[in-house]
Amino acid sequence: MDPMRPAGAAASAVLAAPDAVAGAADLRAEGEERVAVTGAARGPVRGDLDEVFRRDYQRVVGVAARVLGSRDQAEDVAQEVFLSFGRSSVPAGEAGGWLMVAAAHTALNLIRSKRRRASREESVAAASDGVVSDVADAVVTREERSRIRVALARLPRRQATALVLRHSGLSYAEVAAALDMSPGSVGTTVRRAEAALRKEMNRHASSD
Amino acid sequence: MRHPTEGVLRRLLDEPAGVADSDRAHVAGCPQCLRGLAAMRDDAALVDAALATEEGADVDVAAAWQRLTAAAPATGQGRAASPGADRFRADRIRAMLRRPAVAALAVVLVLSGAGAAAANDWLQIFRTEQIAPVSLSAADLNALPDLEAYGDVVVSGDGDVHEVRNADVAAARTGLEVPEVTTLAGGVSGEPVYQVGSQVRATFTFSAERAARAAAEEGETLPPPPPGLDGSQVRLVAGPGVAQVWASAAGAPALVVGRAVAPEAFSSGVPFATVRDYLLSLPGLPDDVAAQLRAFTADGSTLPLPVPADEVITSSAQVAEQPATVLATRDKTLAAVVWVDDGVVTAVAGSLDTDEVLSIARDLR
Repeated sequence: MDPMRPAGAAASAVLAAPDAVAGAADLRAEGEERVAVTGAARGPVRGDLDEVFRRDYQRVVGVAARVLGSRDQAEDVAQEVFLSFGRSSVPAGEAGGWLMVAAAHTALNLIRSKRRRASREESVAAASDGVVSDVADAVVTREERSRIRVALARLPRRQATALVLRHSGLSYAEVAAALDMSPGSVGTTVRRAEAALRKEMNRHASSD
Repeated sequence: MRHPTEGVLRRLLDEPAGVADSDRAHVAGCPQCLRGLAAMRDDAALVDAALATEEGADVDVAAAWQRLTAAAPATGQGRAASPGADRFRADRIRAMLRRPAVAALAVVLVLSGAGAAAANDWLQIFRTEQIAPVSLSAADLNALPDLEAYGDVVVSGDGDVHEVRNADVAAARTGLEVPEVTTLAGGVSGEPVYQVGSQVRATFTFSAERAARAAAEEGETLPPPPPGLDGSQVRLVAGPGVAQVWASAAGAPALVVGRAVAPEAFSSGVPFATVRDYLLSLPGLPDDVAAQLRAFTADGSTLPLPVPADEVITSSAQVAEQPATVLATRDKTLAAVVWVDDGVVTAVAGSLDTDEVLSIARDLR
């Protein structure tokens, strides 16, 4: 028996229709998002959900995990995203890009809402309390990871999303298609995001 | 020649083939661009390391799919014809029996249990003696807050469900009398598989701060909790249990006969006189659901069984001289009967009609 539902997935993916997202997420109260999920759960489920889920689930988790640093939270986000997708009429050919963008947005929203909650505490590091790999520990400390994720959530939404998708292994063409931008501008957008995050790291390093 | 843009340099790091030959040639011979490129490479590596995850490791796609179908039951227009439909349906049935209802059940148990007693030590405040269905719409089920919105949940013992060789072993493992099925119906035949599960314990610790946060997310203010509620605990205990499962030709369970020690709840801490009403008044719980729970949880022995009203019809019957609850899906593909006798809950469920499950239930030995 599992009496718990996984926590933390309150932020929803309903807002994730990529073109509708840009600023709207910030204006929406979490309560409203949740209602939207509930409402969406009543419609019919699209026929290709099974197939798309099996094809893309792992990648969607991967995108959310990059933002959140926690596999468990990333899986919660992926559930929200596929739930929305299942009720959507996103064309099959755009499903992959739509899912990745939705995962990034939902995960970024989650960090933001956590930050709001944690803001009165000094440690905003709470934004990332999950498991991270050992691979890069030598280079980047746990605290730095948390800080960079908080900074990521503060970036303009498009920059943050492009950055996360690129670092999740999408090609420039895929990022461009998912975010409806020109392939030429993907590099510029990703570069700006990386520069901003580097600046954030340096700011903390010098103030320590 | 003018320098390529930053965007072009950045792409050169990832996809050199996507950059024009002329730009590549320029960068190769331009100290300024090479310096910029090196700085970019450092920044990209830093960010990549910071965002790195244990990607690819152990994502359980099948389990995730189950979870999704639990949250989004298919309403299946035109799905019946597709080859995947049967599997989807089986997933959905299993999923329906699993997560949302159980999660809701846990909330309900805590809510009802918390109102039932005052205690200074672990004290039984709830013992299942009968079951009553609570009709919930899909929207209600979705709207039910999970327990973690109100406090910490620690589960000890996950049930450890596994198959055993025969009824004797099952009885020895669980201490339960394994019901013997004497009549099979509805095309079910053959020998069952025996599964046993150990006791599951979940301890819920109320957190005023957590509840306040959950309320704030709903845009509401938490009423001040009664003194002493913060940090008080409710422990839920269920099981052990045993199930006999007959598979159909398609692999989905055709008939399940299960028996388990019914859920009990214990509380530690402060007097709970007004706590139930307090918990039921928290934002997030739909008013009509709260009213239903309030109406019949006063005796501390009726287990509310959350039932998705838009999919399942409930009725009552008598089995083994006990009141029993009969459940049937509206599409008549599944039926179940469940009753409690002396703290032990027994259920018969299958791809059968209600008469068939009742006759199997009444012929159990």
